[in-house]
Amino acid sequence: MAKEIEISNSESKFLLEALRQNYRLDGRSFSQFRDVKIAFGDEYGDVTIEMGKTKVHCRISCQITQPYEDRPFEGLFLISTENSPMAGPQFENGNNTNEDEVLIARIIEKAVRRSGALDIEGLCIVAGSKCWAVRADVHFLNCDGGFIDASCIAVMAGLLHFRKPDITVHGEQVIMHPVDEREPVPLGILHVPICVTFSFFNPMDTEENIKGDTNAEITIIDATLKEELLRDGVLTVTLNKNREVVQVSKAGGLPMDALSLMECCRKAYAITEEITDKITYVLKKDEKRRNKFADLLTSENARETS
Amino acid sequence: MSFQAETGILTQVDGSSQIQSQKTKIFCSVTGPIEPKARQELPTQLALEIIVRPSLGVPNTREKLIEDKLRAVFTPLITRYLYPRQLCQITLQILSSGESEQEFTQREVANSINATLLALIDAGIALNSMCAAISLAISSDDKLIMDPNDEQLKAAKSVHVLALELVESSTVVKNVLLLDSYGDFNEKQLFDILEQGEISLLKLGKEIRSIVESKIINSNLIIQK
Amino acid sequence: MASAQQQQQMHMILPGDSLPISETDLKSHRLVLGPGLYTDPKTLTIHPVNAGKLYITQNNNSNRINIHIDYESHRYIPHVNDLVIGCIVGTFADSYKVSLNSFSNSVSLSYMAFPNASKKNRPTLKIGDLVYCKVATAVKELEATVECLESGFGLLEDGMIIDSTGLKFVRLLLFDDQFPLLRLLASRTKFEIAIGVNGKIWIKADEIKDTLACYRSILDCSMCQSVDQFANIIKKHFQDLNTVAAATAATEN
Repeated sequence: MAKEIEISNSESKFLLEALRQNYRLDGRSFSQFRDVKIAFGDEYGDVTIEMGKTKVHCRISCQITQPYEDRPFEGLFLISTENSPMAGPQFENGNNTNEDEVLIARIIEKAVRRSGALDIEGLCIVAGSKCWAVRADVHFLNCDGGFIDASCIAVMAGLLHFRKPDITVHGEQVIMHPVDEREPVPLGILHVPICVTFSFFNPMDTEENIKGDTNAEITIIDATLKEELLRDGVLTVTLNKNREVVQVSKAGGLPMDALSLMECCRKAYAITEEITDKITYVLKKDEKRRNKFADLLTSENARETS
Repeated sequence: MSFQAETGILTQVDGSSQIQSQKTKIFCSVTGPIEPKARQELPTQLALEIIVRPSLGVPNTREKLIEDKLRAVFTPLITRYLYPRQLCQITLQILSSGESEQEFTQREVANSINATLLALIDAGIALNSMCAAISLAISSDDKLIMDPNDEQLKAAKSVHVLALELVESSTVVKNVLLLDSYGDFNEKQLFDILEQGEISLLKLGKEIRSIVESKIINSNLIIQK
Repeated sequence: MASAQQQQQMHMILPGDSLPISETDLKSHRLVLGPGLYTDPKTLTIHPVNAGKLYITQNNNSNRINIHIDYESHRYIPHVNDLVIGCIVGTFADSYKVSLNSFSNSVSLSYMAFPNASKKNRPTLKIGDLVYCKVATAVKELEATVECLESGFGLLEDGMIIDSTGLKFVRLLLFDDQFPLLRLLASRTKFEIAIGVNGKIWIKADEIKDTLACYRSILDCSMCQSVDQFANIIKKHFQDLNTVAAATAATEN
């Protein structure tokens, strides 16, 4: 078991007292998400997300394999979220059994894979014998909190950006055309789930919070590492732009006011909308950069608009 | 060989670097000296934990092999006896290998060595000397190619990695740290690699030096007296 | 500081470079090696092992040459007489286990290393408390020990800790009298400060918002390029916090 980051009583006391007086260490307001920076690499499906100091890289890849026997019409989709000591020495290499690390993997899995964000039926090539296996490798480079939110954005931006090589099917035979030979094709994305994580702090003792009527817990969005280390409870809400709640995850911790759950979802929706728009915007910009001559080469006729 | 590098980019570790050469892109982080686990501890010297993570898929024997080559290069380079019973954790994350992963590791090994050196210096780990590494290939018409790209590697008769230990302001070669060759080649070609490689690596050593020096200058606060 | 008897040279040096000192100077003077230099135990040659600025101070009166390299790092290695801030992470029968940097080897603080300590009079520190202390022994093969014997050392109560500025910045703050940061902060608020060369700065003002303003100012100043910007950074943070404080007060009323 890797060692933990040591945090002193002074720090925890100060952080809580500051929150009580409406301050956060980095100067954000309680419901302010950090600015998300999305950068694409040279290849399709290579994306780096930066949120404050948190840095996550995601690489999407694909290959042709055999589908599962009980699901002949579906392709394969796998998300790998393995931590390494690069993100911080508290993470151990090859040992991802730490409670937090398992939780990150599970929540991403549920948010993206099980919500059907990727059309896996569209990955089928020849039913029962050939299909695409899409793989998302998430690499955590720097940890300053918000790994769940950042990696969800990274995986979704990566999937949207990725292009798989074009194929031609002749009966059982499949010909894969290299990228420079034929324009590669994008994946079928059905919706874009975005995770927003809320952290709760208890300004009074625990008993007061359960029995009292005050419910004075403090809720903040997108905690940094220090805030994550000291929080008393956590809630992750996954939504998409269609106002659908994909997942609500609250694994124990501080009990929260039931009504505030609605309030959290409402706040999360505004953030989801903002981030989705941002992803769409940077995707468009990247597409333009790659395809400078697309307008000239298009086979579409310029039509008169009257 | 041209490359871009940046150091001190990650905040949770003691030293870090990012290096990009052609299509190869690697992040390196160094943490240490820290408390080792009991099984890693060495009574008189610094233990090294080297982790290489591929851009696609999970690490396997291929990454283990790269780790071993890096260990061979850096074990003599680090002043290990300054840190007895301590651990230095070196993590490399390959973002983009820039070569066909099934066949080659040359570009990744050479760039990993350069990235690790920069990260170690950034972390302030004591080093006996500097080093530099380059990948080489001998093409089908027996020409020596420095820093080959993926196509050149595929078409090559033999592929090599050369790492040299540099001292005296990176003008003198003290030692060969790694010479890793694969394919069909003869003695003359191997000596040619050492000779030509030395010229390129002395140049590369200067580049690495200037990166470190400019970092030192920039990290100094301008204090007006 | 350059007096007639002292000559100081300074230039950039990297591991493996040769030292710019002549053989005769090396033989005829007493050498005092500081950080960044290593003597090979077999060949007895001295070479630099870190990248930074080399300082050679030659004092002709005492026939001594001091050499050290000023280099940036983030992890502290204990040296005797250094002033450090530690966090208590464990208690034993006769000593505390103190951490100077997360993940580093811990150091020990004996119950006897406090003023007026006796078998009966034990210190009352708890796990998680911060202490200001001095390194008493530091042998690289052994666990280092720290002590709080003189006045001014001991428990640091409340306040806030800043620990991601890098060791070089902390040294500037502690040792350079010309360094303007503390004076600029002092013109804004009243505060207590403890600086540990292990890269930790503890600061405490009367009000949370002032401590927080100092916290943000020090962090930002450690990352900026020039001392000239300090005043503006500090001004901005204090103003920001006062606006938030005013807004909070307005909503409460």
